[in-house]
Amino acid sequence: MKIKKRWDVFFIVNGKRRSLTIEPHWTLLEVLRDHLGLTGAKKGCDRAECGSCTVLLEREPVYACQVLAVQARGQRITTIEGLERNGKLHPIQQSFVDHDGVQCGFCTPGFIMTANAFLERTRRPSPDQVKQALSGNICRCSAYAKIIESVLAASRRGKRTRA
Amino acid sequence: MHPFRYAEPQSVAEACRFLKRQGPSALPIAGGTDLLNEIKEGIAKPEFILNLKRLPSLAQLREKDGALRIGAMVSLSQLAGYPILRRNFPILSEALSTLATPQIRAVGTVAGNLCQRPRCFYYRHPLLLCAKKGGRTCFALDGVNRYHAILQNEPCPMVHPSDLAPVLIALDAQVVLAGAKDKRLLPLEEFFLLPTQDITRETVLTPGEILIEVQVPKPKAGTRGTYLKFRERGTGDFAVVSAACSGRVLRGTVVEMRLVLGGVAPIPFRARKAEEMLLGQKPRKDLLAEAAQAVLSEATPLPGNRYKIRAAQTLMVRAMQAVLK
Amino acid sequence: MPRSLAVVGKSLTRLGAAEKVTGRLQYTGDLKLPGMLHGKILRSPHPHARIVSIDTSAAEAMPGVVAVITPKDIPPNRRLQSDLAVLDWTVRFVGDEVAAVAAVREDIAEAALERIRVEYEILPALFDPLEAMKPDAFPIHPGGNLAGKPIVLERGSVEAGFAQSQHIFEGTYTTQVHCAAGMEPRAALARWEGDSLTIWKSSRGVHMVDRPALAQGLGIPAEQVRVICPAMGGGFGSKDETRMGTLCALLARKCGKPVRLEYTREEEFIAGRSRHPSITHLKVGISRSGEITAIHARTIMSKGAYMSSGNAVIRRCGQGSLYLYRTPNAKYEGTLVYTNLPVAGSYRALGAPQGQFALEVHMDKIAEALSLDPLEFRRRHHVQPEGQPGERQTPPGELVSDQPVEGGIPFSSNRLSECLRLGAKAIGWQRRWHSPNSSPGHQKRGLGMAMGLYRGGLAHKAGAEVEVHPDGSVEIRVGTIDVGEGAFTTLLQIGAEALGIEPSRVSILGGDTATTPEAPVTSGSSTTFSMGTAVKEAATTLREKILDRVCAHMGTSRESVSWNKGAIQITRPTKKKVSWKEAVALLSPEERRVRVEIRPGSTEFVINSFAAHFAEVEVDTETGKVTVVKYVAAHDSGRIVNPVAAQNQVEGGVIQMLGFALTEELLTDLKTGVTLNGNFLEHKVPVIVDLPPLKTIFVNAPDPAGPFGAKALGEPPSIPVAPAISNAIYNAIGIRFQDLPITPDKILDKLRLQERD
Repeated sequence: MKIKKRWDVFFIVNGKRRSLTIEPHWTLLEVLRDHLGLTGAKKGCDRAECGSCTVLLEREPVYACQVLAVQARGQRITTIEGLERNGKLHPIQQSFVDHDGVQCGFCTPGFIMTANAFLERTRRPSPDQVKQALSGNICRCSAYAKIIESVLAASRRGKRTRA
Repeated sequence: MHPFRYAEPQSVAEACRFLKRQGPSALPIAGGTDLLNEIKEGIAKPEFILNLKRLPSLAQLREKDGALRIGAMVSLSQLAGYPILRRNFPILSEALSTLATPQIRAVGTVAGNLCQRPRCFYYRHPLLLCAKKGGRTCFALDGVNRYHAILQNEPCPMVHPSDLAPVLIALDAQVVLAGAKDKRLLPLEEFFLLPTQDITRETVLTPGEILIEVQVPKPKAGTRGTYLKFRERGTGDFAVVSAACSGRVLRGTVVEMRLVLGGVAPIPFRARKAEEMLLGQKPRKDLLAEAAQAVLSEATPLPGNRYKIRAAQTLMVRAMQAVLK
Repeated sequence: MPRSLAVVGKSLTRLGAAEKVTGRLQYTGDLKLPGMLHGKILRSPHPHARIVSIDTSAAEAMPGVVAVITPKDIPPNRRLQSDLAVLDWTVRFVGDEVAAVAAVREDIAEAALERIRVEYEILPALFDPLEAMKPDAFPIHPGGNLAGKPIVLERGSVEAGFAQSQHIFEGTYTTQVHCAAGMEPRAALARWEGDSLTIWKSSRGVHMVDRPALAQGLGIPAEQVRVICPAMGGGFGSKDETRMGTLCALLARKCGKPVRLEYTREEEFIAGRSRHPSITHLKVGISRSGEITAIHARTIMSKGAYMSSGNAVIRRCGQGSLYLYRTPNAKYEGTLVYTNLPVAGSYRALGAPQGQFALEVHMDKIAEALSLDPLEFRRRHHVQPEGQPGERQTPPGELVSDQPVEGGIPFSSNRLSECLRLGAKAIGWQRRWHSPNSSPGHQKRGLGMAMGLYRGGLAHKAGAEVEVHPDGSVEIRVGTIDVGEGAFTTLLQIGAEALGIEPSRVSILGGDTATTPEAPVTSGSSTTFSMGTAVKEAATTLREKILDRVCAHMGTSRESVSWNKGAIQITRPTKKKVSWKEAVALLSPEERRVRVEIRPGSTEFVINSFAAHFAEVEVDTETGKVTVVKYVAAHDSGRIVNPVAAQNQVEGGVIQMLGFALTEELLTDLKTGVTLNGNFLEHKVPVIVDLPPLKTIFVNAPDPAGPFGAKALGEPPSIPVAPAISNAIYNAIGIRFQDLPITPDKILDKLRLQERD
């Protein structure tokens, strides 16, 4: 059994293969922010309690701060940076803009990633279902009402483009 | 985080051997949702972390003759999404929907949920060397103890934080523990330790032993179950008080009932007194209230948590009502 | 009749939204500079202690550690009281700064902290303000434990007022410590170039707070300090000062490299700035005919270990008692007391939520004692547009205080009666209000309400600069920042409206001491009012210049010239149209830029915003759980500049303060002084699944003093929430909660006592 201090790994991040050498105590969040230049996922608490670091790991929303990067090696990761296509906003992103689902913006990437995964699995959700799906994300500006509106509006658009 | 070295065992036996050999300097990791918090807070400082999550033998989730066999590394979201769960084990389905948040359920595991450490703020604080961590004082007994235990609460008033534990005990689950050389099967109820038995740990796992499977027997036809979780916010919070009830009524009489409480004791608390009082009886409203009161007659509340008596009584009655009507 | 406006009053898409939804917006913690190091702070494990010795040799010897600073590195010229002192030899709360490390990696800096050896001499610690204020209590600061000077403000004579009263009602009300807990833990990135410092920082007061503080703390002239706030991830007032900026700069100076210092979430809770907890004693006199003859409020606030913005907070706490109800005699006494606890500072609406919680629960009690419906009592007694009775004290021609004590000065506008009427209607008050504790069953519902008032702009000077470029684009520059409330969008709309051009031609820049004019902090809801006034004036001045130039060029007079949809129409001598770009081309380079500095306020009126909130709750009397079933917030904030953003502000403020009312408390163990729940799991901020149905109503009547009729909106929504909830709970179960937060354990404990009696 190999017990290593350093691991040569790769991740598929937003469709691209990214290789690097990591240390086992690094979280996925640290790798994304400090080593891959993807600062969209935020370090709001580093304790898996606030959701600002939410990214998709094999299409499921996870707290990147609480996933050891080495445990996630070889897997597919989607971050907020991966939603835009050729400078065009993803329908969910556009919806948050149109419905003012954003105040200070710090929690926004986390909410959008969670909502993205949810809307891929659920058509025509009720407001309660939206709340449950987003229950792992905190917004202290408390823009919740407009966040729910934004997600419902995006669901009504019917587009479930896969990022 | 403090740096550590990391290894991935190729088999359960290899994992157990390594853990036994290294002792407390090595810790197993599953989803990491509890362990990584402890490391970040500085209350766990392992030299080695052993990843159990890539062991295929531990990730199986299957049904055999109506009984559920849940591999230790099955994620909570995987279990929640299991097709037959809502129909055959509705109480488990209910519990999973209240557990933590979607992002935690995506990586957290069943074993991790059962083996998680307590959430007492004093225990979790790096500056306070409490009795559970090997110190001499329990800070909670005369400190902020609003969320602590009202039963069996000396010398340590922790409450076991798991939602699955009371539910699985109510379902009569058993667990398989594997060591370097052998395995053992025991009722989940016997998996947990009281602080009076050993204040420094919460389970019977010996050095080098890991939990590898949870077995849930097929409930008898007509069994109903519910899990009620009282908490201050609608998500994310651990239970202030919870009640898992599973039972069967035949021709108006209770023929089977299990009632297990969370948030009131250092272990999932089996409300035996209530079970005994209800067995063979008609589930009348006043009997339910009497049974709940009897269970809590032994409560020894702390200055900050007397309210839990009323809250626990309420949840017991409501859970029994839902299941036994 | 307000003329209809082209841009103000429209829900323009929030500026910067696209950057936020794509993750492109960079907050301080996202910024990187070449060679950047990471800073970490060592914090005291003791609530009160003297540092006897510090040995940093082991830490400094670690590979990757570049520098360590301790109190030894701080020059002796510092002023303790002003909070600019960093790394003092005495630590005054668990979490106080002791030393700081800079290393090539964050985890190395963290590990280095453990290698710093500190020897402490433990001193007596005080956690109870009532104990700490006793004359023989151990001093936390030289000079004793009263922080600053107690405030005493009086109108008329409460002694005389009580002598005239038939009934006197007294009560004591307490509120807890809770935290702003913005999603972004604060951070700073400092870089020196020679003796000049540039620091990026999540701060809402780059000009007025950070720059002078840094200059003083570092012993350099302010001109050598440049502060930039790139973006703010939620401040709610609390990110206006801490000492971390100075620490970061000191580390960078010692290392000779840029240093980025980011708070952890726990540090944000315990070493950020929390809301001052309070103990308020209220005494109100009612005459035989039911008039309020006197209101006397006394508040004691625990300051925590350092002063911070305590003076502003304690002053605000009294405003409701002095001004919300009509009475000739009102007195407020406010005292701040040092304690060995985390530092309290500014947090949305400062001390007003505390003071007006006490006031509005107390008045609710009085209404009941007088057999009046709570709404009727407010209708009869709230302050009217003419202001308080009495004589104006402020000399004529001088700016009137927005937090007055004196009477005899009318409000610029006061639509509180409409807030009451519209809010009551929306919740169905007349139809549905019942006497307390009259629902059968275990789930009991009740209705409650509360009013609130809050001043508008600050009297500090505010500056704005408007510049039009030859291509016709316009840039507005302001010293404040957008903390997420949409201030920039609002100011842009005001600027575009004043210039008479399309908003798409206008951009706005803020929060940089080098490129933007001096401004007050984004606080006191000052942005719309004071910054808005400055922007409007600058833009209007520019527009006038353009019109003058066009007239001169076309040889016509001002009567023959009018502005129409971004172009200038000339009627005489010939009908002609001059485009915006053509008009702009007539200006000289100096004329294209207008800078304005104003002292916002009025010499004639008190400018305040008003609100009335209505809540319906359901209390589960078997578990103590409170569910907010419906909530209505009615606001008079003058003309609403951007309706959607305004609604978002109100909703956000209400939800935040539902936490203050029901679930949030920062808990410190009173034996060890250790703060136990500096995290999002245990400091329970409201979550999305608990969102109640929430209706926001704006009276939307333009105010004569505000820019395009606007008044403050940021903070007023925070004020009436807790009392409305407490009053609703009273209506539901007949139990009065005069202590926050109203958690299930408190409800069950009181219900148990109620059953016994």
